[in-house]
Amino acid sequence: MNCLNSFISAILLIALLTACDDNSRLSLNQRSVIYCSEGSPDTFNPQLVTSGTTIDATSKQLYNKLIAYQGDENNLVPALAKSWHVTRDGKKVTFYLRKNVSFHQTDYFTPTRHFNADDVLFSFNRIIDHEHPFHLTSGGHYPFFQNIEFDSLIKKIEKINDYTIRFHLTRADNNFLANLATDFAVILSAQYAEKLNKNQQKQNIDIHPIGTGPFKLKEYRVGSLIRFYHHKAYWQGSAKIEQLVFDITSSNTGRLTKLLAKECDISSYPIAHNKITQRSDLTLESVTALNVGYFGFNTTQAPFNNILVRQAMAFAINKQVLLDTVYQGQAELAKSILPETSWAYDKTSKEQAFNLDKAKTLLAQAGYPDGFTMDLWAMPVQRPYNPNAITMAKLIQADLKKININVDIVSYEWNTFLHRLAQGEHQSFLLGWSADHPDPDNFFTPMLSCAASHIGSNRTFWCNQDYDDIIHKALETNNIEQRKQLYTQANAILNKELPLIPIAHSKRYQARGNNIVGKTMGPFGGISFYQVKKSPLTIAVKDETVQNKTKTKKVN
Amino acid sequence: MLIFTLRRLSLFVFTMLLLTMLSFSLSFLFPGDAVINLSGAINVTPAQLIELKARYHTDSNIIWQYIIYLKHIISGDLGLSMASQSVISHEIMNLLPATIELSLVALFIAMFIGIPLGFIAAIRHNKLSDNIILSVSMIGYSIPVFWLGLLAILIFSINLGWFPSAGQISLLFEIELVTGIQFIDILLSDSPYKWQAFRDATAHIVLPAFVIAIAPTTIFIRLSRTSMIEVLQTSYIRAASAKGLSFKQIIFRHAIRNALIKIIRHVGLQFASLVTIAMVTEVIFSWPGIGRWLIVSIAQRDYTAIQNGLLVLSCFIFVVHILTDFIYAALNPLARDKKYGT
Amino acid sequence: MARNKIYLEEVFPSPFMQLWLIFRKTPVAMAGFSCFIFLIILSIFSPLLAPYSPIEGQLDMLLLPPAWHSDGNVSYLLGTDELGRDMLSRLMYGTSLTFGLSFVVVIISSVVGVIIGSLSALTTGMKSSFLNHFLDVILSIPSLLLAIIIVAILGPGISNTVWAVVMVLIPQFVHITRYAVKEEFRKDYVLASRLDGASPVRILYYSIFPNIVDRIMSQATMAQSAAILDIATLGFLGLGAQIPMPEWGATLANGLDLFYIAPWTVYLPGLAILFSVVSTNLVGEGIRHALKLRKEG
Repeated sequence: MNCLNSFISAILLIALLTACDDNSRLSLNQRSVIYCSEGSPDTFNPQLVTSGTTIDATSKQLYNKLIAYQGDENNLVPALAKSWHVTRDGKKVTFYLRKNVSFHQTDYFTPTRHFNADDVLFSFNRIIDHEHPFHLTSGGHYPFFQNIEFDSLIKKIEKINDYTIRFHLTRADNNFLANLATDFAVILSAQYAEKLNKNQQKQNIDIHPIGTGPFKLKEYRVGSLIRFYHHKAYWQGSAKIEQLVFDITSSNTGRLTKLLAKECDISSYPIAHNKITQRSDLTLESVTALNVGYFGFNTTQAPFNNILVRQAMAFAINKQVLLDTVYQGQAELAKSILPETSWAYDKTSKEQAFNLDKAKTLLAQAGYPDGFTMDLWAMPVQRPYNPNAITMAKLIQADLKKININVDIVSYEWNTFLHRLAQGEHQSFLLGWSADHPDPDNFFTPMLSCAASHIGSNRTFWCNQDYDDIIHKALETNNIEQRKQLYTQANAILNKELPLIPIAHSKRYQARGNNIVGKTMGPFGGISFYQVKKSPLTIAVKDETVQNKTKTKKVN
Repeated sequence: MLIFTLRRLSLFVFTMLLLTMLSFSLSFLFPGDAVINLSGAINVTPAQLIELKARYHTDSNIIWQYIIYLKHIISGDLGLSMASQSVISHEIMNLLPATIELSLVALFIAMFIGIPLGFIAAIRHNKLSDNIILSVSMIGYSIPVFWLGLLAILIFSINLGWFPSAGQISLLFEIELVTGIQFIDILLSDSPYKWQAFRDATAHIVLPAFVIAIAPTTIFIRLSRTSMIEVLQTSYIRAASAKGLSFKQIIFRHAIRNALIKIIRHVGLQFASLVTIAMVTEVIFSWPGIGRWLIVSIAQRDYTAIQNGLLVLSCFIFVVHILTDFIYAALNPLARDKKYGT
Repeated sequence: MARNKIYLEEVFPSPFMQLWLIFRKTPVAMAGFSCFIFLIILSIFSPLLAPYSPIEGQLDMLLLPPAWHSDGNVSYLLGTDELGRDMLSRLMYGTSLTFGLSFVVVIISSVVGVIIGSLSALTTGMKSSFLNHFLDVILSIPSLLLAIIIVAILGPGISNTVWAVVMVLIPQFVHITRYAVKEEFRKDYVLASRLDGASPVRILYYSIFPNIVDRIMSQATMAQSAAILDIATLGFLGLGAQIPMPEWGATLANGLDLFYIAPWTVYLPGLAILFSVVSTNLVGEGIRHALKLRKEG
């Protein structure tokens, strides 16, 4: 009967613990925010990726950039650089850096100096200098910078003094500042790198990050959580919450459940919007994001190396149904890869008609009169440009069945999915692109340029020299009309070649408890928790629920 | 007892050999290069591949390869996960304790509810309460566990808000992973919120543990009912009642003890099925255990993870099996002499 | 025993008939049995009975609640899912996948298991002892875990799931047949036909099988309920039936994302699984109950 005794004592123990008062738990709760995120980050260095999930978890939390975007107009404003100056020919850009900016102090690194020009030199030389000791650490791929051909653009980065730095460019590039303001162009600590280099632990620079951002990394468990603490000496003033936890929950229902059960304060990409808007204690928020969701083809593999097959696909897919079902009418039908809000949008672009007969004819012309079987890779996670790729894949499966094409739907965990895509294992895929800055080039170059096809961020592997020439030319001029024309030409090539079928431009959604205040999302780039705080109203509400639960004990 | 121990030990070694052999042959059964399946090193350069092949001695004969494989396992080298490229032995060491914790709690719940109910049913054999207990228990083992889990979340987490729906503990509490068993880790930690964390962890384990416990509870009800009915029909019980002992005395002094011993034999077997149910339940309650990890790995065709996850899980189940055998033998001297006592 | 014959000729119903006579008198078991028959009919004729296609949806009828709901539509009795597919049709087609396949699975594995089991009952010595140990090890692994292992090796998919469950169930049948045959072999009537010079195979076929078929059936119902749950669980975990098959577990998993806005897409497949498992178990309980009564009576 020993068991019985221990059972009784266990019950007593639990009862005893339940009697503890809730004050400290509440204050811990009030000082922290839990964010239910949709996936694990790849790395903690945004320079190395283009994945939005990684950017969300790292860039604006851990790091700062030289300059940043602000406001509805998307003006460039100073960040780590107090001010900057561009020469008239556009080939020399000088930044005057901010003083007294401190790096994170963590268990693994204690900085002894403030931010200065060496850190800027280190951060960018790592990308452009192939001989740099850190260039090959973590694989040597810098997809965003390779997309925009950063290393050939920059001739030299010159340190003028500790707080002045000058970029010498080989050609004028009207997107240079815009690119430096993206979430990828973060500043790392040169001193930390030096220490790691000395200890032979170079790879740690991307695993245990040190930056100047409002939060510092405390703990990361793959596939489960990321814990950040606030950076007390942050140059813009310490963040309002002490602890920020990313609860990595890749299942859509899981995130919604946690939100409804108050286990997370903010949830990324919520499903079941009506359910959230019904609840008085939750808010659904959205921003008009610059993005496009598309159905792309691996143009190096049969049968999609055949342009006729790609065109047949475009005729066979009923986009309006996809929009109504997958986006529940909350998105705009995409007529080109550029959203209508972009200034370079070509108003004459037309919607491809849905025409099964035409699709069949094209397919027969291409030599597949009896159809074929293909793989369709659908993203496992919600992204702003596509809230439910699996459902979309099912609909496409049904559409293509009508022209005798059998579709097998394939999906992997998000990071694996991206890796395998980059290796070109797929035939066709559902993906999308969220802009990093407002310039239209950010759609044309990273998605479809030849440079991007070499490094795998252009997963169609489509490479067209005419198209490349046009988009390069568009970067060299500041004349808006001329650029607009060039982009219209580029678009015409895309409409003809169809390496991908643009489907929709959607909003980005987020849901949060009403007690969480502060802006987190912008029209492009990752989210930021710097402004977030919990309003004191929560305590009152929480207290009530606690009292309800323990009514028997706290009889007033 | 010595012979019994030796017998068990030889069975243990035999089964371990069988399991590792199975796991080793899996690397050939899975698509792709066996060395890559074993090591999980995808995206290796040709030079690295040659080095890998040398490490696993792929050019020697198959038996030698197997011995090398055993050496790798014994030294704790289970390769890298193909999906995440993390070290599998670390992952398993972090995840397995969580599963053990959950399964043990569920097992105790099942025993503490199932066995008394079964005894009650046996004592009131063929009466109304017996029938009610039996019918409820039949529904209990007919419910698909994943559905039950979802209903439990909907009712107790969302509608009533009594228990949290996911995870081991609220992520606000920073508890360092030491043993992997959350309750022990909390007690070991120096967090200022220790007791709140302990309470929170208790609240988190309630729903998944009860959901897992439902099916084993029904099994324990049936087992204890049958064994109690058997015991009550034995001559020593009749002798006791002839002696004039009250019904209460007979039940508590004699019947329960003898009925319990018979049940203990089945605990090991039940634990195995309980771990399987836990695998499914972990998926629903996002419990960071080995079951969820394994199922995700299967869906992703992460062969290295599948191979080693299965090996560790089946070894674990088998070890539990043998341990309960020992406990049974220690409690019941009769069992030691049996030739085939499984 | 009731005697309707005038002549003094005693008619002994076969053991199987005896069982049926007892079974018929238990109303609960009969209820389960009629549900069981209903499910079998449904799984054979679902393509004829189902009002809509299980795969193609009506895109103007998305997420319609069941008919008794105020927003429901009578032509979609159990509502529709996120692609406008009729839930009733999906469940009916799902019957042939989840229930029908599990029935087929049980038949295959019982035939294979009984053959192996009875042959092994005839062997003795080293071979027998090895088989005994092997069965012990296999039987100690839970069926779902074993099925997961086999699917992990074969790769996800409905046909692999079926094979996995077949392989998982065979040892159980081998075990029970072996035990039953050995037991029967010791009985006098077997000895009698042995003395008549009957070959072991003949004895098996004519003397023993009629006497153990009820025990095998009782095992088959247990195997069937395990098979339904295993197939559904594997489907739910995404390891079994793949998109867009209307297998119940997979349908339930598909409804997960809609749990909070269209809960019927989760409730209904779950209820279907529960219903089929309960009716199978009722039949099994009925058989076991009748077996016990026959033994006592």
